[in-house]
Amino acid sequence: MFEWLSHMENTKPLALVIFFVTFVGVILYVFSGRKRAERMESYKNIPFLDDEKVALDRAGETADKDQDNG
Amino acid sequence: MKLNHESIEINAGLMIVLIMLAISIGGLVEVVPLYYIEDTVEKVDGVRPYTPLEQRGRDIFIREGCYTCHSQMIRPFRDEDMRYGHYSLAAESQYDHPFQWGSKRTGPDLARVGGKYSNAWHVKHLNNPRSVVPESIMPNYPWLLETELDYSDIAARMRALKAVGVPYSETDDEYQANVEKFGKEVAGMLDINNAERNLIVQAEAGNYDKDPGSVTEMDALIAYLQVLGTMVDFSKYDEGYFAEFR
Amino acid sequence: MAQGAVAAGTQYDYDIVKRFAIMALVWGVLGMMAGTYIASELAFPFLNFDIPQITFGRLRPGHTTMVIFGFGGNALFATSYYVVQRTSQVRLWGGGLASFTFWGWQAALVIGVLGYLNGITDAKEYAEFPWYVDVLITVVWVAYFVVYVQTLRRRSQPHIYVANWFYLTFILATAILHIFRNLAVPVGLFHPESYSLYAGVQDAMVQWWYGHNAVGFFLTAAFLGMMYYFVPKQAGRPIYSYRLSIIHFWALSFMYMWVGGHHLHWTALPDWTSSLAAAFSILLLMPSWGGMINGIMTLSGAWEKLRTDPIMLFLITALSFYGMSTFEGPMMSLKSVNALSHYTDWTIGHVHSGALGWVAMVSFGSFYHLIPRLWETRLWSTRLVYVHFWLATIGIVLYIAAMWVSGIGQGLMLRAFDDYGNLAYTFIESVQFMHWPLVVRALGGVFFVSGILLMCFNVYMTIRTAKQEHAALEARIAAKMAKVGA
Repeated sequence: MFEWLSHMENTKPLALVIFFVTFVGVILYVFSGRKRAERMESYKNIPFLDDEKVALDRAGETADKDQDNG
Repeated sequence: MKLNHESIEINAGLMIVLIMLAISIGGLVEVVPLYYIEDTVEKVDGVRPYTPLEQRGRDIFIREGCYTCHSQMIRPFRDEDMRYGHYSLAAESQYDHPFQWGSKRTGPDLARVGGKYSNAWHVKHLNNPRSVVPESIMPNYPWLLETELDYSDIAARMRALKAVGVPYSETDDEYQANVEKFGKEVAGMLDINNAERNLIVQAEAGNYDKDPGSVTEMDALIAYLQVLGTMVDFSKYDEGYFAEFR
Repeated sequence: MAQGAVAAGTQYDYDIVKRFAIMALVWGVLGMMAGTYIASELAFPFLNFDIPQITFGRLRPGHTTMVIFGFGGNALFATSYYVVQRTSQVRLWGGGLASFTFWGWQAALVIGVLGYLNGITDAKEYAEFPWYVDVLITVVWVAYFVVYVQTLRRRSQPHIYVANWFYLTFILATAILHIFRNLAVPVGLFHPESYSLYAGVQDAMVQWWYGHNAVGFFLTAAFLGMMYYFVPKQAGRPIYSYRLSIIHFWALSFMYMWVGGHHLHWTALPDWTSSLAAAFSILLLMPSWGGMINGIMTLSGAWEKLRTDPIMLFLITALSFYGMSTFEGPMMSLKSVNALSHYTDWTIGHVHSGALGWVAMVSFGSFYHLIPRLWETRLWSTRLVYVHFWLATIGIVLYIAAMWVSGIGQGLMLRAFDDYGNLAYTFIESVQFMHWPLVVRALGGVFFVSGILLMCFNVYMTIRTAKQEHAALEARIAAKMAKVGA
């Protein structure tokens, strides 16, 4: 085993195996488990979190506009 | 701590480390071996650093952005062999800082343009390409003939090149090493101490622009163009020899 | 999750975003005009006018620098500073340092481009900046990294949104690429020129490791970050799949770094290097299309937006061009195809289907979304956005089609033999053949430039209207206050 690893020409298949296993591992991890899926997918709403607040703050925003125009 | 992808998504530091890891591997695997694998650069005779005048010509080649339209890298295809000559070797650009292989041929490849045309043709062509090639779309470069070559900093340039690995000589030991490697005549041209004189002598002897009185940028550029691809004598090598290095 | 009940205007630093956004448009106009001009020089060489500063060889680095680092770079600064604030719900860190990134970046561009026109260049494609500008860029970039990461660390949101991952990988990769490509020894402390640390074949490999990853991280990963924020926002619906984004983020970051060698097929670079690069180029199709699918499918179930919203049209068309050029790229990295396409206009066409179709279109779309929000108003004219969209699209189609004709045509001519085994065409015959495609290409450029000029007008009117609105509002409030006071 170790002898096989020590040969330079075996690095290519070795690297291929390592990368492929990692890739499959990531895929399996990401796409398995309903709870994990729900949790992960929940993050996609982050860009919308500050929307409401902005709308609510519209009324109180005039003060800032003064600065922008100043 | 439970390890999952969220550990990364909530930790900027960890994410930075992992990104660095992911983006480093590819470059390391492809660039580093080029310095250690013996076969990257072929062993051939004749390739030498540029003389002071040629180097100044190369600087002008770079200044004018010639590389945006002309490659210096002939590929091993039949049509390129017939059109330009023997395919380029890595050894032929081993002293090129930076390389000028180019990426686009709006004009023809220049890797072996040396010796193909006369000096007089080059002067005419650079001055007004359409006077010799009516369909050419290359700009005119009239200022090359009108501008005196600035060679006041030639020694500093050669010292900078020496610092990045070009074997120009400054001490006697370095000069002797060059004599051994390139022969006496070439070694003399690579001596930084005589750079300015060598430049003037070559320009006057070559008289590239047919104006004996002065050293112009035209002299330097043509000296550079005329040496391109001429250093290796391919008749000395077997057809199969270079294939071993590919 | 949303914390801090301060108003958006004070919570976020919009001022710096505005400055970068406007400069992106300024550099965009200059860069695209320069591009159209050099394209015309190739069609009509008299346009060089024997003026050294505007010859093709000197203006071309000016064009690439102004569009990539001027337009693209400023657009990325603007959007990354906006996105990191909005998704972290925190104000940008380091006001003065952020301001320094603005002035430093503009200074680097001005010094760099004026230098090229006067013949000061490193002659390394897309890294032509002379050494002192390289130093300035390095300092600016470190400041950018610090500002960005410090803002992220102060986020009032535990999770780092995916758009920021892409911006982060772009900032890190660009730093590495920039530093290692530009290692050089200056001729003197007060001398503008320097000589690359690498020579010949190693310099070539470092160049295309840099050059292709400038495309991969500067022009792709970072603009994907833009896409991951602005497409969902404009569509009003979250990204299609967050899990897909995890996969394609890591795959893209990992794989791009391997593919640069495909620019050096059949050259004196050892065969194993360019073959390995080609293999990864083909694999790269998957994460690229992962990103495209994720973006386009965000609209699934709301396709009618494409009919009603020209901004959406920009964004989705950008993703389509992204898909197209990331298919064309791997194909051109095949050795047999590359033998024909390399050194020809096909490559130029490919780059522009990515640069105009993807980078510019996604930036236009994002800016049309961003600008009204920065100035707290509405876009002056939606109809002009439609006109811009069609001008840009026609421009790109003309450009790419012309380059296919000229590139493939020249490639075939140069490798053609006659019945006796001689070369069928001289080089100059292929140049003659390319005349009309080059004219059409320049025309495509004119269309594209008119589009961005129209956009500038629209943005100008939008900002002017916003200022008038705000002034009127202020006057009303002042009048009211006066009444109350009396």
